Amino acid sequence: MERYGTNYLEERKLIKRWSGPIPALLNLLFTLIVFYATWWFFHDPRGVMRMYTPNVGYMYTCWWLIVMIWIVYLFNFWPFKRKWLENTHPLTKGLVLCAFSFGVLYVMINGFFEGILGNFGLAYFNPDQLVKLPGITEFFAVEYSCLAILMFAAIAAWISPAWVIAMEEEPWSKLPQPAKGFSLFICTFFLSTIVYFVTMHPHMGILYHPWQSFTSIAPPYWEGFADTVSGNFHMAWIMCCTVVVWLLETIWQRYPFNLIRNPWLRRIATFFGIIVIAFAMHFFLYFVQELTWGEAIRGTRRAFAPDWRWLHVAEMAIFFLVPALFLNFYCGNWPRKFSMPVNVLIRTVITLVAAVTLYIMYYKTSHLFLGTQKGFSHPQQFPMIPLIWLVNIWLANNWFMDNWPGWKMVPKTVEEIEADHVARQAEIDDVRWSPSLGAGLGMGVLAGVAFYAITIYALPGLYAAIDILK
Amino acid sequence: MSIDKKEVKRRDFLKGAATGVGVGVFAAMGMYSYSDARKELFPQKERKKKDIGVCKSIHVTNISETSWFDNATLIGDIKKSGGLLVNQYDYNWPPFGNGQGLGKGSYKDGMAKIKEFLPDRLDEAWDVILENCIHPDNPGGYSCLIEMEEMDGNKRKFLLDTGWSYKWMDECFKREGIDTMLRNKEIEALFISHEHFDHYWGLPVTLQYDPEITIYIPEGFYEEGLQYIKDCGHKGEVHVVKNGLFEVAPGFATYVFPVPIICRVYGEQSLYFNIAGKGLVSVTGCCHQGIIRFAETAYQEIAYENDNFHGIYGGLHISPFEDWDPKYDDLVISLGKYGFERIGCNHCTGVLCAKKFINAGYPVVEGTAQFRSKDTAYLGNGDTITFG
Repeated sequence: MERYGTNYLEERKLIKRWSGPIPALLNLLFTLIVFYATWWFFHDPRGVMRMYTPNVGYMYTCWWLIVMIWIVYLFNFWPFKRKWLENTHPLTKGLVLCAFSFGVLYVMINGFFEGILGNFGLAYFNPDQLVKLPGITEFFAVEYSCLAILMFAAIAAWISPAWVIAMEEEPWSKLPQPAKGFSLFICTFFLSTIVYFVTMHPHMGILYHPWQSFTSIAPPYWEGFADTVSGNFHMAWIMCCTVVVWLLETIWQRYPFNLIRNPWLRRIATFFGIIVIAFAMHFFLYFVQELTWGEAIRGTRRAFAPDWRWLHVAEMAIFFLVPALFLNFYCGNWPRKFSMPVNVLIRTVITLVAAVTLYIMYYKTSHLFLGTQKGFSHPQQFPMIPLIWLVNIWLANNWFMDNWPGWKMVPKTVEEIEADHVARQAEIDDVRWSPSLGAGLGMGVLAGVAFYAITIYALPGLYAAIDILK
Repeated sequence: MSIDKKEVKRRDFLKGAATGVGVGVFAAMGMYSYSDARKELFPQKERKKKDIGVCKSIHVTNISETSWFDNATLIGDIKKSGGLLVNQYDYNWPPFGNGQGLGKGSYKDGMAKIKEFLPDRLDEAWDVILENCIHPDNPGGYSCLIEMEEMDGNKRKFLLDTGWSYKWMDECFKREGIDTMLRNKEIEALFISHEHFDHYWGLPVTLQYDPEITIYIPEGFYEEGLQYIKDCGHKGEVHVVKNGLFEVAPGFATYVFPVPIICRVYGEQSLYFNIAGKGLVSVTGCCHQGIIRFAETAYQEIAYENDNFHGIYGGLHISPFEDWDPKYDDLVISLGKYGFERIGCNHCTGVLCAKKFINAGYPVVEGTAQFRSKDTAYLGNGDTITFG
């Protein structure tokens, strides 16, 4: 039976063409060139298509991400056959698969959301319907509908991979493709729809005057808790969920949830564990802003507005995704020589330091080359767009192009695949309960709490010392 | 105990510790970061209560609040040029047109075509503008005259902003007698709130009547904006006001906010007046920093009469393109807590927002909707408001 790309990512061996850091540096250079060229062509306000309006560009960026996730994680490259995946030149594969993903993206946005939902269900998905509203300009009609469509992608970018990673594709894991892909797609699309309606639909409902109280809950139920009626509160935790899913899949090797031996307990713990960790991140990144800039003031604008602070939580979260993926894709998920918990901790620390560095560098310099505006809180300053665009290019490079040009792909032998499974299980089995581990765990928890306390104590002073925008 | 066993114990301890650190950090993050207890750690700021003095009253004349006349045309231009982040000098809007079409202009090209006419031959400059610029009849501009009465009865006049269209602004100046005041040197300074086209590009209209007027611009102007002052033939003093508080006269101070703004503009200067017996009045161009931020800054920085927010005049930059966002509702909901007693809003506030203020019961001083102002919810062109 044709396997398409089932387990393709696990069963390929990526071999460095050169030793040392050369492949990583070469791929970084290659992907950055692609990034900047495509940024200029598609997004840059000084470039050709100028889609960074921002929501038009943001919508396409988010949708490219989710379509690639669907192709690889849900459909295992279906309808592309295994032989084609293994034998085609990476550059050809990259171009064909990217073109395929753009085609799917176009059908979803223009066919499903604008064409079907926007014409027969919810007007705000289609700018042509929205513009019929007296007073609304074409520009904002497009921006509003793009926001609605992109938020669906943002939600799906969390739920779809979470179902594969946390729920381990169950209960459809044994199905052949494309039956498995469509089952996962329908299930996660359905869940994304529910999440969309209880998070972003009330946000869209109060874009109109008077508030559309009979079609969406107004004021939204989160107003008191989030100190704003804006749906940015949800965008923040949803984006944190997306980031945590990929941290878990890459640098965390699904640890510690992979220690749970009961399959359904493990799956459910992982699925909800992602949400719990994401909310911890969500609250912390909001608190960070309160510590550095002061308490948010409802009703004000920009950096002091709660709605923008929540949006910035999402933006900050994405800064963690970039180094984590780089570490995983181009640095072989370094380090690997210690026990899994120690490896995971070291990678997390590296990611944390790199994310903070990237954040500082981004806000210090991005306006000089991306055509964006200087400052943190400009309504058009959306670091999520360039960062997710870069992530998309890395995903295309790793998933579609087998890390070309720094690496070449060779299919693993049956023995190598088996050895991988054994090694992975050995890593998990290596973490067994013992009194020493218990003592370490207790000390670690204390150290973690202490680290948190020191961080929040030191943050205001550190931030003042760095003065990012000077 | 054997060395091997010790090693196993050490390794187990490290595994536990590494896991524990993650558990501890995330648990603390989740349980403390959004709890009420966190508020004890917020930076505590002592109110500075800087004494800026008091004045008896201010009288504001709205010279023009209509920055552009057709919203769809303006935003259509912005959309076709590539959105709200495109450099404002590249749109090919008046006066910086080079005849190359939307989004393909530049300060240098545009200025080369009109420089010889600035600031005295604006009619001739306008003819060139009509030939080379996109939608030359859509621009209007924002400008107001502030007459401040000092405690001894002495009256001083200041301009806030100088609009956009040479043609429209000159008509407005003549309608309100600003031309004569400038010629007579009755207006002692021009304060530019920010570099945006609709507040600043009409500079030659002011300079044709008084090229020596003192100009105050906020920190953050781009190279083109600074050059424009020179190219317009200004002969007086230019003060670049640094971020923060700047005292102008007893009872009058400005405050510069380092805010990023659409169309590649940075920084906004807004005005505070401390009215004797009444309280603080905020006069703004666009107020990109947000009126509540402006009020909160006053609360932290300066002392004002009765610790009371008395009034607001100007653009509040809520829905300048009549767009809407739930965050604007946050403002409508929150503004009432600040207790402003007279609100004269217009320009970039958004008519819908002004109507929401009125529906919320806020003390909005309505206007007459004359001289192309669109709605009585705005204190419109030619309308006046007095505080004190």
